[in-house]
Amino acid sequence: VRIPGLRRDPHAPIGAYALDALPSAERARFERHLASCPTCPDELRGLAATAAELALAAAETPPPNLKGRVLADVAALSGARDLDAEIAALLSAPDALVASGATSAGGTATVVASLRAEAMVFTSVGLPVLPPSSVYELWFIGAGGARPAGLVPPVSGGAVPAPVLASGLSGGDAVGVTVEPAGGSPAPTTTPIVVLTLRA
Amino acid sequence: MSPPRPAREADPQGSADLDALLVRAGTGDQAAFEAVYDRVAAPVFGLIRRVLRDAAQSEEVAQEALLEVWRTAVRFDPARGTAVSWVMTIAHRRAVDRVRSETAAAEREARAAAFEPPPPADDVAEAVESSLEAERVRRCLDGLTELQRQSVTLAYYSGFTYPQVASALGVALGTVKTRIRDGLKRLRDCLGVSW
Repeated sequence: VRIPGLRRDPHAPIGAYALDALPSAERARFERHLASCPTCPDELRGLAATAAELALAAAETPPPNLKGRVLADVAALSGARDLDAEIAALLSAPDALVASGATSAGGTATVVASLRAEAMVFTSVGLPVLPPSSVYELWFIGAGGARPAGLVPPVSGGAVPAPVLASGLSGGDAVGVTVEPAGGSPAPTTTPIVVLTLRA
Repeated sequence: MSPPRPAREADPQGSADLDALLVRAGTGDQAAFEAVYDRVAAPVFGLIRRVLRDAAQSEEVAQEALLEVWRTAVRFDPARGTAVSWVMTIAHRRAVDRVRSETAAAEREARAAAFEPPPPADDVAEAVESSLEAERVRRCLDGLTELQRQSVTLAYYSGFTYPQVASALGVALGTVKTRIRDGLKRLRDCLGVSW
C-alpha cells in the first residue's frame, strides 16, 4: 500500500528482510534490489548479525535426544553421498573392467572393477529373494582362495539391491557369489552361483 | 535508565573458531559438524521454540534446520558473514516457514498478540542458557522505543510478517517497516556488532 506523495525508499524493507518479515512478493522485489545495491550487503550483514544476537539470547537446552537424531541423519546423508561418489568414480575409472553373467539361481550379476583402485562395484537383477536366514555373499577368488568381498543388501521381492562397493581386489581375481547364513561367512560354505572372470 | 554500551570482549563466543568449524563441516567433516552442533543447538532450538511455541514441533523443525546447516555448509563463506548468522538465518527461516504454512494459525496469533504483548526476553520460564548474553540483549532491547522493540520482537520472536506486526500494533505499514530497520540498527550499535 503506497501513501500518495511519499516516495518509496528501496532500502526501507531491509530490516524486515533481515528478520524474514517481508511477505513473499515484497521479498522477491527486495531481493532484486539487493542484487544491484552497493550498500545493502554490508548493512544486511550487520542486521543479520544483530538478529543472530537475538537468537543467542533465546538459547534453550534442546531435548537430549535431538543430537543423536541429527548426527544419525548427517552420517546417513554423508554415507550415501560418499558411496555414490566412490561408485561413480569407479564406474568411470579409465581401467574399468566389466564382467556380467547369469547365475545358477536365476538373475544376472554384473561387476565393474578397477585394478588401479583395487575395488569393484557389484550389481544384480533378478536374484531370487532369500529367506531372512540367508544372504548373498561376494568373494574375491584368487590364487590363495576366496576372500570375503561383502554382502548383497537384502531386498523384498521385485526390488533391485543397492550396488555393493568392495575394495581389496587384486590382479587375477575372479568375483564369486555364494548363498551364506545371514551375517555372512569368513569362507564360502556353498558352491558359487556364479563366478565372473575379469579380463582386460 | 540509559543502558551502558556493553564492552565486547575479544570474540566472547569464539566466533572465528565457529566459522572455521563450519567451513570444515562443509568439506564433509562430521566431527567438525558435531562441534558446530554443540555450539549452536541451544540457540537454534530456543529460537525455533520462541517462534513455534509447541515443543514437539520445535524439535522437529530444529532437526530439519540443523540438517540444512550440514547440507549447505559447503556454501558458507566466512568473508560474507559469521557462522552464527548463517546458522540462525537458516533456523529462523525454517521456523517462519512452518508458522506461515498455517496461515489461519498465524492470523489467530496476530489477533491474540494485539491484546497480549509479547513476552520480554527474560520472561521465558524454561532454562535459558547463556544468561549473560540474554541480559546484554535485554538491556539493549530496553534502549529502543516501545514501538521499535515491539516491532522487532514480534517480527523475530513471533515470526510475524511486518503487515501482521502493523495490524497487531495498530500502526501504519510504512511505520512498522521503518521502526524495524531503525530498531535493528540501534540494537546493532548497542550490542557492538562489528559487521
